[in-house]
Amino acid sequence: MLEETLVLFRNIRTSRYDGTLDSYRKAGGYQSLPKALAMQPEEVIALVKEAGLRGRGGAGFPTGLKWSFMAKNTGKPSYLVCNADESEPGTCKDRELMLKDPHLFLEGMMIGCYALGCHHGYIYVRGEYFPAIKSLNKAIDDCYREGILGPKLLGGDYALDLTVHTGAGAYICGEESALLDSLEGKRGHPRVKPPFPAVAGFNSCPTSVNNVETLTNVTAILEMGADAYKSLGSPNNAGTHLVSLSGHVNRPGVYEVAMGVGLRDIIQELGGGVRGGKQLKGVIPGGSSSPVLRADEIDIAYDFDSVGKAGSMMGSSAIMVFDEDTDVVKLLHRISRFYNHESCGQCTPCREGTHWARQLLRDFLQNNGSERKLNRLQRVGRNMGGTTLCALGDAASMPIVSFLKKFPDDFRQYYATAS
Amino acid sequence: MEVFYIDDQPVPFEKGEKILSAALRAGLEIPHFCYHPALSVVATCRMCLVDVTDLGNGRPAPKLMTSCSTDAMPNMRVSTQNDKVQEGRELVMEYLLVNHPLDCPICDQSGECTLQDHSYAHGTGHSEMEYNKRVYGWRDIGTFVQLERNRCIHCSRCDRFTREITGTDEFGMFNRGHELTLDTFSDRAMTNHFQGNMADICPVGAITEKEFRFKRRAWKLRKVPSVCTGCSTGCNITIEHDRNEVLRLKPRENQDVNQWWMCDEGRLTYQQMNEREQRLAKPMGRVKGKLLQVTWQQLYDAVADRLEALKPNREQVVALVDTDSTLEEMFLLRRLLQEVFSSDQVFYPQQDWTQPESEFFIETLITTDKAPNQAGARLLGLKGSQEHDVISAMKSAKLLLVLGNPFINEQPLLDLAGTTELMVHIASRQSEWTDRADAIFPGQNHAEKEGSFLNKQEHWQRFWPALRPSRHVRPEWQILSELLHMGTATPVQQTPQFSQIFQQMTSIEHNLFGNLALEKLGESGISLANLRQQSDTLAQTA
Amino acid sequence: MFSPETQQQVDRLLSRYPIRRNALLPLLHLAQKENQGWLDSRWVNHVAELCEVSPTHVEGVATFYTMFRFRPPGKYHLQVCTCVPCCLVGGPEILEHLEHKLGIHAGHTTKDGLFSIEEMECIGACSYAPAMIVNEDYVEQLTPEKIDQLLDTLATTPQEQETHA
Repeated sequence: MLEETLVLFRNIRTSRYDGTLDSYRKAGGYQSLPKALAMQPEEVIALVKEAGLRGRGGAGFPTGLKWSFMAKNTGKPSYLVCNADESEPGTCKDRELMLKDPHLFLEGMMIGCYALGCHHGYIYVRGEYFPAIKSLNKAIDDCYREGILGPKLLGGDYALDLTVHTGAGAYICGEESALLDSLEGKRGHPRVKPPFPAVAGFNSCPTSVNNVETLTNVTAILEMGADAYKSLGSPNNAGTHLVSLSGHVNRPGVYEVAMGVGLRDIIQELGGGVRGGKQLKGVIPGGSSSPVLRADEIDIAYDFDSVGKAGSMMGSSAIMVFDEDTDVVKLLHRISRFYNHESCGQCTPCREGTHWARQLLRDFLQNNGSERKLNRLQRVGRNMGGTTLCALGDAASMPIVSFLKKFPDDFRQYYATAS
Repeated sequence: MEVFYIDDQPVPFEKGEKILSAALRAGLEIPHFCYHPALSVVATCRMCLVDVTDLGNGRPAPKLMTSCSTDAMPNMRVSTQNDKVQEGRELVMEYLLVNHPLDCPICDQSGECTLQDHSYAHGTGHSEMEYNKRVYGWRDIGTFVQLERNRCIHCSRCDRFTREITGTDEFGMFNRGHELTLDTFSDRAMTNHFQGNMADICPVGAITEKEFRFKRRAWKLRKVPSVCTGCSTGCNITIEHDRNEVLRLKPRENQDVNQWWMCDEGRLTYQQMNEREQRLAKPMGRVKGKLLQVTWQQLYDAVADRLEALKPNREQVVALVDTDSTLEEMFLLRRLLQEVFSSDQVFYPQQDWTQPESEFFIETLITTDKAPNQAGARLLGLKGSQEHDVISAMKSAKLLLVLGNPFINEQPLLDLAGTTELMVHIASRQSEWTDRADAIFPGQNHAEKEGSFLNKQEHWQRFWPALRPSRHVRPEWQILSELLHMGTATPVQQTPQFSQIFQQMTSIEHNLFGNLALEKLGESGISLANLRQQSDTLAQTA
Repeated sequence: MFSPETQQQVDRLLSRYPIRRNALLPLLHLAQKENQGWLDSRWVNHVAELCEVSPTHVEGVATFYTMFRFRPPGKYHLQVCTCVPCCLVGGPEILEHLEHKLGIHAGHTTKDGLFSIEEMECIGACSYAPAMIVNEDYVEQLTPEKIDQLLDTLATTPQEQETHA
C-alpha cells in the first residue's frame, strides 16, 4: 500500500498545526537556518548540489547548479526571487505550503538568500492567491517582529529583507524571465536568452529564480543532510515531491510522495481510483502542457526521468486523471483555449497558432470537423513547437500533438457521426 | 577579426556580435522583421531563423535559431538556405499572413513592404486559414503618421522606437496574445517630432506618413541622395520624386550625422522643393524703373555696362549671402568680389544656435539654426553679421549683390538697398530683395542643382540634382561663374561643369579642403577634421 | 488620490523596491481596490506619476494582466474557474448554473450591481475543483446547491459588511 512520505508536509499533516510562527517553532522550526548561517555560503550551495535537489517548478533543473551560475563580484546586488506564480492547470501544491506552513518555505527562502549573498528576496505570488498572500505577509511580519528577518537575520550579522510581490493574472509570468519583467513593473514578456537571469535578471542584476517547493526542500536538506535526503527518492531524482492530483479520482488532493513511486499507485491508492467505478481513459501527468498518456501507458515510476522516457514530462507534478466517458476533443479544446488566452503575443507562431488551433477545435465541437481540418490541426500544433522564444509555444503544441496521436478516433468520431 | 561561415562564405565578426548583424554588415541577406540595428533585440517575429549546422565546437544546434539573437562564434557554420530553414520561413510567413488583410492594392507601403517581399521570396503563396481575420479600425495617432492596425504584424519596432530612441514612451503594446495591439494611450495623439521614422521602420503599411498617403505608388518613385536643408544638422536624405515633383523625403543612414533618422520638420521641406508661386522663373532687368523679362545675354551685357559706368571701388561693393547657399556658391561669390573688385565685403547672417541637450541622440538632430551651411560661410572666411557691421558697409555701397534671401527681416538693410546704384539678386525664390533689384538672375532650388554643405560639426557632404529644372533658370554656381568670367574678361569656353568648379575650390582652398576631387566626396560625406588629419599625415610622410 | 491609510501602504510598497517602476503591479492593485474594483484613466495617470513612467506604459501593463478591470464589477465579483481540472469535474456546469441563476452572462454585472461573473483560467484550486473566487476568497468543491446557498447568504448580507471580513 503506497503511503505518503512526509517531509514538507510533516507539519501540515499534524493535527492542530496552524502554521503560525509559534507552532512552527514548537515543531522544531528555524533550526535549519542557524545551521546554514554557521556554514560558508559556498558550502550551502555544495550541500544542495550534493543532495541532488532538482527544481520543482517544471523543468527539473538541478538547483545547486543553478545557484553556482550566479555571477559574482559584479558590484551589483544579487537577488533571489521565488516563483510562486503557480498557474499551470492542474497544479496547486505551492498554495498548500504558502497557506498552511509559510514558515517552512520562508526558512528555505532565507537559506537560499544567504547561500546566494542576497540581502533582499522577492516572492512573486500570483495575484489570485489572496489567501496565500495574506498568509505570507503575516508570516513575514511575524518574522520581522521576532527579529528573524531584518538587519540582523536571526540575531546574526546578515541583513535580509523579504517582500511579497503580487502578480496580476498572467500564466506566462511563471516563465522566469517574464516573471522578472513583471517584477520590474513591465508587461510579462519572456526575454531573449542569453543573458540568463544568473547574469542579468531583476533590474539587470544577478538573480536566481526558484520555485516555492524547491526552496522549501532546502530547509529539509539542511535539516536531514544530503545523504538522508537523497535516499528518499530514486536515482538522479532525489527527495519527495508534492503531487497535485485532480480530475476523475475519488480522493483528489495534494499528496507528498517520494520520487519514483508508481504513477498508477498514486492514482489508485492515494487517489482512491477512478470515481464512480469507471474505467481510466488517460492521464495528463505533469500539468496541462505535458503530453497525455493513455491508460495502458501509466505503469511507470513517477519521477522526472521515467516520465520523460515514457514520452511525456513530470513538469510540476500535476496529475489530471480522466475517465472513459471523457470527451477528449472538448478537453483539448479547453486546453487550447487556455494557451490562446495566456499567450503573451510577442512571437508570431504562438500568437497566431494558439488562436488558430482553438478555432479548428471549436469547429470539431460544432460538428464542422473533417479529415482536412484534422491534418491542419496537427500541422498548426506541430509548428508551434520549438519555433518560439519561450516554452509556451511548446506547451501549446505538445497537448495537441499528443492528443491527436493517442486518441485519433475520438476526433474522427466527431465528423464521422456528423456526415 | 575572427570569422564564421554563412553558407560556406567567411564572415568576419566582432566579439559578442550576433549572426544577423554580422551578416548584414557583410552585405548578406537574412530575412527579418523585428530586428533593427538601432533597437534592442526582441527576437519575436521568428523570421530570421537559420540552421546552425556547427556551433563552432563540431556540434549542431538542436533546432533552428533566430540569427538576430544568436552570438556568432569562431568557425561557426550557418546555413540560411537549406530545406529546414525554408520550411521554417514558410511557416512563419503563413502565420504572419493569417490575420494580415492583404490589402496591398490600396496600401501605400505596397512596393516597399518587407512583408510583401518576404512573402514573395519565402512564402508558399497559399494559406489554409479559413476563418475571419482580426479586424481593427484605422487610427489617427499623430500629426505626421496614421495607424492601420489590421496590417500590423506586431514586430514592436514602433514601441521600441518611442521607448529607446525618442524616450517619449507614448506608443506601446496593449492587451496580449491574439488581441495584442500597438497604439497610443487612450486616443492621445503622439507629440514627438520624429514620427516619420516610425513609418520608415514599420516593415508593413501599419504606420504610414499622412503627407504621402494615396499620392503615389512606391515603385513609381525615383530616388536621389541629398542632404536636408531644414537645419544645420544636415541629415542625409533621399529625395523621392516622380513626374518632376518631390513626393517625400526619407532619411538615409549615416552613422556620423543622423544615424537612421530625421525629424518631421525636415521631411516637410519637400514642400519648398515643389513650390511654384514664389519662384523666380525668368531673368529680369529693370528698364526705366520697371522689371521686365530679358534674355540671359541681355542681362549679362546690361550688368557689364553698368559696372563699366559705375567703376565702383572696393568699399563700394557689398555682397550678402544666405547660409543656405552651397560652399561652391559662397566660394565663387567671394572670388568674384576679390578678383573683380578686390573687395572682401561678403556678409552672411550669423546666428548663435543651440541643440537640445539630451541622453537621446535623436533629440540633438534639431538645431535652432534653420540653414544648412553657416559652418561653410564661417570656414570660407565670409563676414559674419555679428562680428562685422553690415549696415555701415551698406551705407557706402554702390553695388549690391544678394545671393539667396538673407537678412529679409532686417528692415534697415532692406531700406539701404534702395540707395545703391546697382542691385543684383541671384536666387530661386522671390523675397523683399526682389522688389529692390535691378537685375534678377533666377537660380535653381535645392532639388534641382548640385552642391555641398558643411554641417554644424563641419561634416562636409554633397547632394545631387533630382528634379529637372525649367530651361529659363540656371544653377547659382553657373551664374556666379559666368559673372566672374565677365568681370575678369576671360573668355568663356563653354558652360562650366560642376566638378570643375568644385575642383577649383578644393585646389585653391587646399588648406581647407585638401585638394579633394568631387568623386572622393561620397554619399556619406567626410568630416573636415578627418580630412585635415589625413592631409597632415600625408604631408608628414612626404 | 489615495486615502491617507492607503497612501501609507503605497509609501511602504515604494520603499521595498530599488526603483519606483518595480512597484507598478502592487500599486495598480491598490488603486483598483481604492476605486471599487476597477481602473480608469485618472488612476492610470496617477499610478504613472507615482512610478515615474509614462501613462502608456501603465496602460500597456494594466491591459496585459487579466486581474485589472476597466469596467466596474459587482459588489460580489464571482470568478468561476472552468479550466482543465475544473472542466473535468463540472466547472462549466457551475458557471452555467450561476449565469442562469443571476440572469447574466460571464463578463456582465447584475442590474442591482450586486453580482458580476467572470470566467477564469486556472485559479490553482485544481485538487478542490470545481472552484471559484468570490472577491478575495476561495470557495471550493462547488455544487449547484452550494452555489444557491452562497448566493442567498451574499444577497442578504447587509451592504456594509464584506464577505471576507
